[in-house]
Parts: sequence; structure tokens; C-alpha cells
Amino acid sequence: MAELPEALNQEHPSNSDLFDPKIMRKTKPGVKRLFLTITVLLSFLAGVPFFLKSIEIYRSPIPFSEMDTLSNSIDLNPLVFPCRFHVVFVDFDFDFREVSADTLGFSVLENMRKLSSSENVCGTCGNNFSVSVTMESGGDCKETGNAVSSRLWKCERVKEGNLDEMLKDDERFDDYLNDVSGGSEEGSGKVYRVVVVRRDADIRAVVGKNRHAWIVGRLSQVDETIKMVAEVFVKIFVNGGIKDGSIHSEFMPVGADGRIVLSFNLLNADPRDWIYDWNFQEMEESLLAPIIRTLAPLANISIESQVLYHTPKSSFAYWDKEKESYIFSTKDLPFFVNSNEWHLDTSIAAGGRSKILQFVVYVPSANECPLLLQLPNGEISMTNGFISPMWGSVIVWNPSRCTRDSGSFHHRNKIPQQDLEKVFEVFLGQLRQLFGLNSGNLYHDASSTFTLLSTGKGFTEWELDFLSRQHTCYNLLQCGTTLGSLSRLVQSLPRMIIKDEIGKQVKFSLEAAKLARGNASHGISDASAVSSREARILAEDAFFHPSMMSVSYYSFEHCFAVYSPFFLPVSMHIILAVFREFRRYKQQNAKHRAWRALDS
Amino acid sequence: MALILRILLILLTLCLATTHELNKEEFHEELLLKPLSDRKILSHFHFRHTLPDVTHSHHSLFPKAVFQLVQKFRVRELELSFTQGRWNYERWGGYDPLSSSNAKPPGVELWAIFDVPQHEVDASWKNLTHTLSGLFCASINFLESSTEYSAPEWGSQQSSGKLRYGALPREAVCTENLTPWLKLLPCRDKAGLAALMDRPSIYRGYYHSQRLHLTSSEFGAVGSTTGIVLDQTLTLVLQPDKETGSMYSGSSIYQPNWSMSSLFGREVGGKCVLAESSTVFVLLEGGLVSTLKNTWREKEGHEADNIVVENSWSNPNFELSIPPNKVIEEVTTLHKNPSILYEYSVEDSEASKPFDLEFRWKNPVAWSSPKAPLSASRFLTGSGNERGAIAISLESSGRKDEKPQSLGDFVEKMRVSPSEDKVSPGVMEMILRLPCAVNSAALTIDFDKGFLHIDEYPPDANQGFDIPSAIVSFPDFQTKIDFLVGNSSKKSPMISKLQESRNIQSYTEVLLVPLTTPDFSMPYNVITITCTVFALYFGSLLNALRRRVAEEERHQREIAAKKTVRFPLLFKLLAMLRGQTWEQPPSQSSTSTSLINTKIVIKVIIVAGIAAGWQYYYG
Repeated sequence: MAELPEALNQEHPSNSDLFDPKIMRKTKPGVKRLFLTITVLLSFLAGVPFFLKSIEIYRSPIPFSEMDTLSNSIDLNPLVFPCRFHVVFVDFDFDFREVSADTLGFSVLENMRKLSSSENVCGTCGNNFSVSVTMESGGDCKETGNAVSSRLWKCERVKEGNLDEMLKDDERFDDYLNDVSGGSEEGSGKVYRVVVVRRDADIRAVVGKNRHAWIVGRLSQVDETIKMVAEVFVKIFVNGGIKDGSIHSEFMPVGADGRIVLSFNLLNADPRDWIYDWNFQEMEESLLAPIIRTLAPLANISIESQVLYHTPKSSFAYWDKEKESYIFSTKDLPFFVNSNEWHLDTSIAAGGRSKILQFVVYVPSANECPLLLQLPNGEISMTNGFISPMWGSVIVWNPSRCTRDSGSFHHRNKIPQQDLEKVFEVFLGQLRQLFGLNSGNLYHDASSTFTLLSTGKGFTEWELDFLSRQHTCYNLLQCGTTLGSLSRLVQSLPRMIIKDEIGKQVKFSLEAAKLARGNASHGISDASAVSSREARILAEDAFFHPSMMSVSYYSFEHCFAVYSPFFLPVSMHIILAVFREFRRYKQQNAKHRAWRALDS
Repeated sequence: MALILRILLILLTLCLATTHELNKEEFHEELLLKPLSDRKILSHFHFRHTLPDVTHSHHSLFPKAVFQLVQKFRVRELELSFTQGRWNYERWGGYDPLSSSNAKPPGVELWAIFDVPQHEVDASWKNLTHTLSGLFCASINFLESSTEYSAPEWGSQQSSGKLRYGALPREAVCTENLTPWLKLLPCRDKAGLAALMDRPSIYRGYYHSQRLHLTSSEFGAVGSTTGIVLDQTLTLVLQPDKETGSMYSGSSIYQPNWSMSSLFGREVGGKCVLAESSTVFVLLEGGLVSTLKNTWREKEGHEADNIVVENSWSNPNFELSIPPNKVIEEVTTLHKNPSILYEYSVEDSEASKPFDLEFRWKNPVAWSSPKAPLSASRFLTGSGNERGAIAISLESSGRKDEKPQSLGDFVEKMRVSPSEDKVSPGVMEMILRLPCAVNSAALTIDFDKGFLHIDEYPPDANQGFDIPSAIVSFPDFQTKIDFLVGNSSKKSPMISKLQESRNIQSYTEVLLVPLTTPDFSMPYNVITITCTVFALYFGSLLNALRRRVAEEERHQREIAAKKTVRFPLLFKLLAMLRGQTWEQPPSQSSTSTSLINTKIVIKVIIVAGIAAGWQYYYG
């Protein structure tokens, strides 16, 4: 036995003098106990994976790398749509031998490059344009190669009608252009077209309701004309006619679930003076319904309305003798909306993440009537209303005569139809502003002025293209940031339970985002808007999933507190035992070696 | 022929005119004041919205939120009440339409009938509770859990399983619930009768119940009403201020004088201009009227029947400061005393000429309110934390008919849906038929208290669990007050509500059941002790396995040999514990005592240093 080396000492009397029991031993040290403790330790270590498996929490596999690459790539490579432009020169006396369609095309392209910003801005065309040119003069017709191949334009068709007669009426000419080019458009995708007609008149540039614009007049200089054409392309068709060029894509008023609720409110400041009601039903059918249909690719819009009473404004208005009215200035606007008394409320019908835009018609009380808005330059506002981005808009409507209804009998007046139509037209303009578009029908610039034709639907085709490009870009940005933060969050909290549903939503969101990017690169802006919206909705759903809250219930501290009372002491015992046995074995082995050295 | 045609045309236009009139949204506001026998005043506000046409979603008066709620959840009928205080059935009456429809259990009570397929009812209910909870700033969403609501069957006749009922007895009711409720009114509390609702005055009262009731018949239900009718009532029991009374007011025989301004601290500065009608009623109940008539008879010596009701607003007993626009008397059978209703229209009052009705008593009067046939009270019996029983005692309130009937079974029908742990609450519905001669009856239900899972306890588990009030209704006893009102088209909603025949209904007390609460740190304690035992077992097993007995003995002998024994007795004891014989070692000169001491000192210093360092960096 290893423990009793001294019992064997007497067997070797020959070396007994040299044998020192403190540093030597004659037998080999036993390994039984060492083996035992190591076995225990190993079996413990073997149990660790099972233990970890048993306390594991369920985490659905989430493609983190894909999420990160998506969010990075959206940041790095802004979404850029390919755009196609077409210029038609009618009745220009070009020298056809000198000027070819291709050179004209190049110079247009050159001008456009100059105008558009050097870096790719999300939701624009970047530098991804193609320009084709058609020249018609007399009986000649010359086209660039790409125009011929994609049959953009049928020569001579534009001259079939009475061109001079048509040009007098913008609306008519717009429709005519649409007819002329309508047939060829379906197959070739969206083409923005400028028709330059040389006539003996003042130069006018008009942008139509569809994807056309035309420039008519005494256009002697080809370079000037080309510059103007390029301006129409870049400033109007690509940048949506927004002046400062910067794109407020963050201010797209669409809820995270792709819905907008337009809430119309008629506020009677003091019903004791007069009560006004409106014929909202009719307005909804005649004015609002077409807009909703037009904006359907961008957002799912619903409309609701209410009439509220006893809702004074909270800012002050002063009496102006000259204008014989009460004046409130733009300085007071931040205080105009009285959130204490105007219980505009969120909507029960809408979901939690829908965007609600409030449209308020404010009928002032008798002691502040008529109430007018003064602009900073001292003039009285034409619309008598203002917008608050992402919240909505307010219009002050003054009754025709500011005298109190007599007697105690209160008659319910209706806002006259013409007034109501005017109010809703202003609302329409304000809605366009809330979407980031121009509300006027003229586009002024340092160098040029364009007339913009408006449409009964509120938004023209090219504006819708612009909006859906913007919307796609904004949605993808949001989707990217949401997925990026989700991935960071999930990775930073290793003990968070992640349900399969979240994993699925993330997967579908990634797929939809990929589809949207694919569609965008092919120039299909409607489809990409729809799938980008889907991607964003799914990403938000995953991020705001209720089960994400369960993180606090099974933290690492909790786990540690539950298991440490067992594992800490036991593992101490085992490790110490192994350590001691091993040390002892080494000592004893050294002793044995010393004896062997002596023995041999 | 032409004549006939013209008549037809007139008829047609008449029809058109009436339908147009019918399709109008209407809003009525009314207030009823009623002196109670215990020197308090009942004030009952009633606001009614009617929406006859539900095809359009644009309304000029009807609240958008309620319309959307009805549309979204397809609610056919809904009642939500927030109540503080308990209705005193003994003193404030239990046998009149006001008490049986407006006395509500403390806290929140919600029931709703849905017009959705049977399997969607629960989902609709859950969504509805969440919506209402957001709308009224209350924790109605707690009713979402399936243990908190039930589906009673006999409460409502036409519910057919689509009724859900839930109550939260512990919900505190305050202004944050009243403000959203007022938001549903077109004038809120800016004008009209609601302007009386001065928050400190109305929350100072003895009873406060704010109720919202809506019926909708849009989903193809057959009913007398069409469209949506939204009734909002606020029932208050207030004590008039002492100062306004005469010098007798301190003594108990005089009823206190009161006025609207003394009750509410505010006056009505004109009607809400959007209301069709704005009316204040003063109701004198039958018991009071009969006592009054008796005193008049004594004083003036003429017959009770001869008293002209029209002039009764100023009589030897009391006086109203403003003559009423109309006095309406109840139509009764012979042996019942008629109630009198004084009607005031607020239409003419203005901000400069506020409407302030004052009620002055001239003579002391005492009367009692009619009580429900049986007064119910519910209490807990049993002791300990294991078993208990709920007892409901029904006491006859003295209303007895002469013919005692004998019945074999008291319990006519019974439906019990036993509670399932963590799934559904226990509901017991019984129809009892008691003979008229019965004086008192008692029902007891035994129950066992169970342990909940640790995470099912509420945060304040030690307070106990509330059991919502039981509803006692008397289907054979109906109540209404028939007033002699002409067949005028402008019928007041309040009067039509009073004229509706209703079952007598009352609520019992809320019960508080204490439940044994575990020590909530127990799981950790259990874990810790189990783990310690395991660790001890494991450690000692391991130690035993690798123990070298012989070597240890030898070691000990050596140590013992080395050491000078300073405490021989101790060593002897130790040896005895180890089961060895202890022999006195040969005395040796100790050389290493100082050395050992320094070693110990160094060890102690190192440990202290580590501890200090630990404290410094991690503490």
C-alpha cells in the first residue's frame, strides 16, 4: 500500500542506512485515488454540456449577418432608380447633316449631370439615366438608337392634330400628348418626356399631369433649349419640384404599419355664438375618395371625421382697425393648437402604429371674428391656415357675417358648399405639403419658371412616381435601421427568448427588402414601394413583438443565483481534491524516483 | 282626382318630413334631484345621445370614439359603471326605478352583449376591455383574463350566450375616469347641466356612480329603438351643507334646506346649446308625498284628494324657490301613494341669470323609502386558511302578503359553472322561489382555499382577494313610475326611463377573502438549502473516498509528538472524539511557537489585505 511505505522499509536492509522515509519511498505511488477524483471531475465536465442544454432558452435562429449587411448596404449604397428620358424636338430647323440625335442626347445628358448632385441620394435617379432624342422637322424624323429600338415615339403622329390649336389650351394638349404617346408607353416602362415645339410665341414651359412636359416658343438657341430640357428632367421629374433639393424622407407621414388615418375635425370655438356643421359625406365622396385611390400604392388611407364644440384656441389675437379683423401672427402658431380643450383623440378604428394626420377647421367665436393669419411679411394669408409637419394642419374658417345668432334658439348652420370646397382644396394642398410636395402651380427657379398643371386627383403621375421612389427609399431605410437595431439588441442580450415568429418575420422582412431592391433596380417603382412597405411592417412587427419583453424574467443573475449554491461548493471540492491528489502523486513519485536512483 | 292626389302628396311630404326628423342626431341633458329620507340628496344626471342613422360614419354630435367602438367590436349592448361607495338600500330605497337601475357595485362593472359568432365573443370581449381601458383611463384591461369574467345566462333574456360580465371591485374611481366620460358629451363640462360637476363637491359625496350604457340595433337586431342610443348617467348622493339650513338644521327632525349652488358649489349658466332639451326635475317619492298630505290635512283640514297638485310646490311643509314649468303626478293604483315630479326647463337661463333652484323645508318631515322585498347581504364565514364559506342571507323587509304558500323546493333552477383553476371563475346562478311568509333565508357555499402558483399572486397578495358583488334580482317584482304625460312628441328620456318597467335588482357587498400567502423568497430558500445539502453530501463522499486513514493516524502521532501540550485535557477530548487513546507525548522543548505565531499573523494580514482590496475595488 502506498500509504504504508514504512512497513516495507525493513525488506531492504542493505540500503536501509541510506533510506530516508521523508524523501524516499520504495513502492510506486498508487493511482487509485487520483484516478477516482479525476473520473469524478471528468464526469462533471462531461455533464456540463447537458446542463447547459437543459437551462438553455429558446432562441429562434435569426440571420444576424444578413440583417447587418442589409442595414449597412442601405446606408452605403442608397437606393437609386434607373430613369428614362425622352426629348422630342418638333419643327426645329436643325441642319440634319450636322446635328445628330446622338449628339443632342449627349448634351442633354451632360447638362443633367451638371444639375444633379454628384453623390447618389436615396430615392432619386442618381446618375442612372438614359436619354433618347427624337427630332421631327418637316417630313424628316431622326431618332437615337435606343429610341428606335424601344419604339418610344411614333414620328409624325404629333402633327396629326392641329398643333397650333391644341397648344392654346394646356389641358387639352396634355391629354393630346398622352393620346399620342399612350400606346407605346406600356411596354417600355415609365419614360419622362419633354416635347419642344418651336412656335412664334413667348417661351413657356408647362409640366403636365402625366409624365410629359412641353416647351413652346421662340427657341433660337439650341444650347439654351437643351439646358431648359435638362432642368425640367432633373428639377421636376427627378426631384419632384422641391426647391431646396434636400429630401426630407424622414418626414414621410406614413405609420409603421403602412397606414394613414386622415382625421377631419370641425371645431366650433364657442357654440353659444353660432354652430356650424358641414357636409362631410359629400366632400369625402367627391374630393377625398379619388385622392385615397391615387395614394393607394403609398399607404392604406382611411378617413374619419367629427365635430367638436367649446374648443377655444389658446393663443391671443389682436384687433386690427384697418383690416377690421382679429389678427394672429405666425409667431403665435406654436400656441394655436389647444391640446387641453381640443380633444382630437387618437382613433379606435386605427391600429396602434398608424399615423394619424389631423385636419382641423377652426370656426372662431364671435369675439374673435373674423380671425386672420398674418404672414411674417405683413400680408394676410390667403389660405388662413398652417401645417405642422407630422401632426396635420389647421384652417381658420370665418363665418360670412360675424354677428351672433339672436335669441336662445340656436340654429345649426351649414358651412356653404363653395366655402367647404375651398377649405378642402386648401387641405389638399396641405396634404401635399405634408408629403413634401409643392402646393402652388408654378415652379420658380433662379433661371426659369415652369407652369405645373394640377389634377383633380390631387397628385400628378410624375409626383406619384417621385413619392413612391421616396417612400421606397424611406421604408427601406427604416427597415434597415430597425433590423439593424434588432440584431444588435438580440446579440447584446444573450439570455433573451426569441420566438419562432420573430425569426419568421425577420426572414420575410429580409426577403421583401431584397425584392424591393430588385424591383427598384429594374425601375418598377410601384411594386418596390409595396414590397418595401411590407418589409418595413414586418421589421417593425418583429421589433415590437410582445414576447421581446420576456428578457427580464430569466436573466443571467437569476440563473446564477439558482445554480450557484450547488455548483460552487461542489466544484470547489472536486477541483481541490484533484489538485491535492495530483500534487501528492507527484511528491510520492519523486520520492519513489529518489529511491530508485539510490537503489540502482 | 286632383284632390286625392294632393292629399297623397301631402301625406308623402309629411312622411318625408318625419323621416328627416327621425334621422337627426339628438342630445338631451337632464338632472333629477330627490330628497332622501336620511337628510341627503340624490342627484342623478342623465345625458342621452341618439343616433338613428348608422350608415354614415360622419356625425355632428355623436361621439366618434363610441361609434367606432360599436362598429369595431359589434357591440349590441354595453354597460360600464364606475362606482365609489355603496348604495344604502335601506335608506335610499331599493324598490324604485332609480335605485334598481343606478345602484351599482363598488369599483368597475362591465357587461356587454356582442353581435358576433359565438366563437369570437371572447376575443371581442378582450379587445373591448383593452379599448375601454384606454378610453376611460382605468384598469379595465384586467378583465381580459379568463378568470375575471364570466358568461351568465339568466341575467339577460336575449343574450344567448353572447353576454360577458366582469367586475373589478377594487378599482378606485376618480376624476381621471370622469374626464374622458365628459369628453363624450358635446359640451363637456363647459356649459349646460354638466357644468355643475365641480370635482371636489361630487367626490365628497356618499355615493358616486358614473355609468355608460349603450344599445345598438344596427346589426339586424329587432328592437323598438333603431340606431345607437348612448345613455350616460352620473348618480350622486350628497349631503347638503349645514350652513344653508336654518338654526334648526342641527337638530335631527328638520330636513336640511338645499339649493343647487349649495350642493354643487356652482350654478347652471344656461343650457348646452347643442341639447334638444335641458331639464331639471325634482322628484318627491310616494312615501314623502303621503306624509306631506297627512300634515296638510291636519293643518288645513281639507281632504287629501282636494289638494291641488299644481300648486304643491309651495305648501306648509316646503317651498321651491322657482315655480316649476310643469308638475307631473304619478298614476297609481288606489293603495299606493303617487310621487310628484316638478319639471324645470333650463332653456331660459343665461350666464347673467343663472338657474339655481332652492328647496326650503318649513316643517319637520320624516318618511321612509320603499325597500326591496328581500334585503340581501353577503358575508364570509369559517376560520383558518384552509376552508371557508360564503353566506348570503336574505331578510324580508316586512312586505308580507296574507297567504302563506308552502313549497316543496325553494330552489327552482340552478346553474353552476365550477371554477377551473387558473382558467375560469366559479359562477353560480340560482332561481329561488320563496313563499311570501318567509322571514329570512340563508345560502351558504363552502369553498376550499387553494395555493396559487408563485407568479400568479398579485403584487399586494397580503391584502386578500376581492370577490365581486352578487346580483339579486326579483323577476316577479317590477317597478316603474307612470307619469301623466301627454302624448307629446318631445318625450323626456328621463321620464321614459322612469316609466320603463324594470326588475328590482340589488347588489350585495364585495367580499375580501384573505388567502394564505407564501413567503415569496421561499423558492430561493429551498434552492439554497437543497443545494447546500447536496454539496455537503457530495463533498463528504469525495473526502471519504480519498481518505488515507493510516497515514492520517501516523501524522497525528507525529504532530502530537512535536507539540508541547498546553491543554492536555482538550487533546484528550479530541482523541476521545476520534476514538483513540491519547498518550502523553514525551515533553519536548518547544522551539517553533514564535515561528507559528508569526506565520499566523502573516496569514491574517494577507487575508485582511485581500478583503480590503476586494472591498475597495468591488464594494
